[in-house]
Amino acid sequence: MEKVFSGRIWTFGNDIDTDTIIPGKRGTIPTIEEMKKYAFELLKPEFGSTVRPGDILVAGSNFGCGSSREQAATVLSHNGVRCIIAKSFARIFFRNAFNSGIILLTCDGIQDVVKGGDIVTVDLEQHKVSANGKEFPVGAIPQNLFDIVAHGGLIADTKRRLAGGFQPEPHKELDDRERRRKGFTLAEKILRKNAGVEQVKPGDIVISHPDMFMIHDIYTPYLLDTLHQIGAKKIFAPDRVTIVFDHCMPTAVAKNDSAHYDAGLELAKEYGIEKLHIGEGICHSLMHEKKYARPGCVATATDSHTTTYGGAGCFCSGIGTAEMAAALITGELWFKIPEAIKIVLNGHLPKGVLSKDVILKILGDIKADGGQYKSLEFTGPAAHEMSMDARFTVANMALEAGAKCGLFEADQKTADYYGVPLSEIDWVTMDEEAQYEKVLTYDVNELEPQLSCPQGVDNVHPIREVEGTPMDEVYLGSCTNGSIEDLAIAAEILKGKHVPETMRFIVVPATNAVFKEAIRRGYIRTFIEAGAVICHPCCGLCCGMPYGLMYDDERILSTANRNFIGRQGTKKTLSYLCSPAVAAATALTGVVTDPRKL
Amino acid sequence: MATPLIEKILGAPAGTVVSFQPDWLLVTNGVAHQAVLEAQNVAQPAKVQLYFDHNVPTGDPEASHVFDILRDFAKKYGIAFHQALGSAYECLLHIVQPGQILVGGGFHASILGAAGALGIDVSPLELARILESGSYQVVVPETLTVRIQGTLPEGISSMDAALQFLTENKDISGKMLQIIAPQWNLHQKSVFCSMVCGTGAFSAICTDAGTPDRVLKLDGCGAMAVGPCGRRENQKTAPIFPVSQLRGRSVEAGQIGGYTGGTIEDLRRADHLIQGKQLAKGFRLSVCPATSADYIKAMEEGIIEHFIDYGAQIQAAGDRSEVRQGAGVIGRGETLVTTGLYTYAGCMGVPDSSVYTASVETVIRASWTKSL
Repeated sequence: MEKVFSGRIWTFGNDIDTDTIIPGKRGTIPTIEEMKKYAFELLKPEFGSTVRPGDILVAGSNFGCGSSREQAATVLSHNGVRCIIAKSFARIFFRNAFNSGIILLTCDGIQDVVKGGDIVTVDLEQHKVSANGKEFPVGAIPQNLFDIVAHGGLIADTKRRLAGGFQPEPHKELDDRERRRKGFTLAEKILRKNAGVEQVKPGDIVISHPDMFMIHDIYTPYLLDTLHQIGAKKIFAPDRVTIVFDHCMPTAVAKNDSAHYDAGLELAKEYGIEKLHIGEGICHSLMHEKKYARPGCVATATDSHTTTYGGAGCFCSGIGTAEMAAALITGELWFKIPEAIKIVLNGHLPKGVLSKDVILKILGDIKADGGQYKSLEFTGPAAHEMSMDARFTVANMALEAGAKCGLFEADQKTADYYGVPLSEIDWVTMDEEAQYEKVLTYDVNELEPQLSCPQGVDNVHPIREVEGTPMDEVYLGSCTNGSIEDLAIAAEILKGKHVPETMRFIVVPATNAVFKEAIRRGYIRTFIEAGAVICHPCCGLCCGMPYGLMYDDERILSTANRNFIGRQGTKKTLSYLCSPAVAAATALTGVVTDPRKL
Repeated sequence: MATPLIEKILGAPAGTVVSFQPDWLLVTNGVAHQAVLEAQNVAQPAKVQLYFDHNVPTGDPEASHVFDILRDFAKKYGIAFHQALGSAYECLLHIVQPGQILVGGGFHASILGAAGALGIDVSPLELARILESGSYQVVVPETLTVRIQGTLPEGISSMDAALQFLTENKDISGKMLQIIAPQWNLHQKSVFCSMVCGTGAFSAICTDAGTPDRVLKLDGCGAMAVGPCGRRENQKTAPIFPVSQLRGRSVEAGQIGGYTGGTIEDLRRADHLIQGKQLAKGFRLSVCPATSADYIKAMEEGIIEHFIDYGAQIQAAGDRSEVRQGAGVIGRGETLVTTGLYTYAGCMGVPDSSVYTASVETVIRASWTKSL
């Protein structure tokens, strides 16, 4: 592999998210060759038609934030991009890009001296880049990642390993005494237990053996194709694999979704995967509802919001399709031990203020890259007072700070939820000896409802600054806030009332179990009588599927987890995020309304 | 011979040009929303009903833009604006009074004949002119009176009967159908009236007595289906088959919904049929209550839960005969059997897919075996 090469530059700013690289609505196009034409279509429409092999992207911080979609990397790779230089990268994109054969280099400075069309020279041996007569140092590339690129990407690398007679290493988890050793963060405790490694520190690479793998239907065609490319005849442990049809089910994008459905069925049949959930709800909600993702275990999935089960003290993080294919075959997945931030939640949440407000407040404070490749670990009285659903909400959105995971301690509520003795999981707790990069402390007594405003999850404002803003549509649902507890909060506000005739109010329970329980408790009736439209449990509008897409300059308020440009409509649609209480109160009045005032 | 109902309602014999003021004007976002772009004024706002009942929730940004246009039009003229209620036709079926006239910009206003009202379809441009003037002019059509005789065999619905009638009567285009069917309930009549004008009859209206020109014997009816028909303009000439001729044809998806398959009566029937049965693996079944009232009734009766357990996908209430992007669409090479009213290429997804219209019974049976 060449260690010195040059390329033409495309420049980008900070926080380029995966929706910007390849919009969610293009994410289900069955082939990468077709999809790659739409790379950066909202930001640089000319990119797909004018990018040349060998071109190099130069960007600011947090490049590739947002979803786990591997296509964000593969469309660049298939367009010939060989290297990206940025101040920092989002963690899943970082893995996906190397897995796709793209070299990523961290560099702060070159951004100020280049413009699009300039030529940059990369010298991997000297760890430097140069352009317009100036040189800048770049970070070193971990050897395992460099090897993947040198071998032509993860698919080729895995084929090579299999051809070399790969056999899984004997694996033994740490015993109960050893897993209770103090001096580790939650992420360290779970990863060392799973990997069977007694001593770990941030930056170490450990080989984990995930207890559960999950694939949802956005990625079924690509995963199946990748497994075929690798030549996999079987996978390591089919009983540890779950397939969920939730993004493309009900099939809603005619030219794409049925291919994802068929591929999911084929994937299950060909590799003997029996945990198959077709149209039963959102994957992340099902993963804890079905108890597939468990406290103290390691789970991974082809989705960024895999962090959700951290609410139950499960180490869980998203990966891309190629990496999933390799992990399914080998049963192994490497993780770099993350630095950790302890977040202490003191006090008691006031009425009308919910866990969504807590995580939005944190996101507003630390910003979209404030948790980059870190473990956000939550403790304190308010954390323990939160219900399991409330914890899942926080953990779900930890990802939006770029976190590797968002973990809560396992306590009696966790034990009750999973039907296990507390003594089995009580080692998933924080101890004073653990080393945290920093500690953030919040007094939630004084917290008020928060809204994430257009267009970025970390553009967070207290409700008093947004109150009265007219809304055209309110969306209640998603793996963030589609639980029975969330529906109960909204139903209480809406009982016996009606939204304005011109307000579009869409309710999507997270799972079939939630849906049925909401029917039994009368919530669905309350919503319909209030003027809502009910959709079958699915990811729906949260991931940009056609369940209420909006037009230019229209405003949508959603309980989902992302408000990236173009995600819920056109690039001029204005998208806000909030708690279910704010959503219900706003649906009722048509303008952003503080639920505490109703 | 008694004066036909349409001649009584319009106050003139067949062949006469009459001007009248409709009691109701219906605008939906099916196609009729184009009327509000044309209309420069609304003469009688109190008579106008605006329903956003297709494409719910909005499947693309343009549909949302249509919502805004209808909303703003309603606000400007003080017109009743409805959304999240379900199918306009099904809602109005329970509101219109016998002898009233509704003019709509869709294709199935004849459904209101089940309630003894006269439903007339016009183009969006015509509807715009009627909105402006409050009146409409029409040549009173000749009436063909049809007696529905006997009772439906087990498993056969009034949709099958309507399709049977259409295969036996090719000369009804432009005529008013006066249906004598005292043995049928409102739902059976509404399905029949909405389907029986599919080949070009002017409209249909039900009555309890009269002297028939023709007789449809129900004991001779079997399960029927409308086949794919190419372009939308060809829908009136879509082929109609006995389902027996299609037996064994592979079907990937099914839909029961709308006013011809999603009313509480339909949902009860479908619920009965799924008892003890399993959804075939690889078959996607959508259940779309016709109205929010039907949805609530089905919930209260436990029907929605039964469908959830069966593996069906419960869609938002509304008119789902045409869904190009949204829940329940089909992909390349797939076949859908639906209670919806269209079978043209692309009406429920991509153009290279196939759609059949059939009864609730036929759709549910297909869901057991993944075939017709």
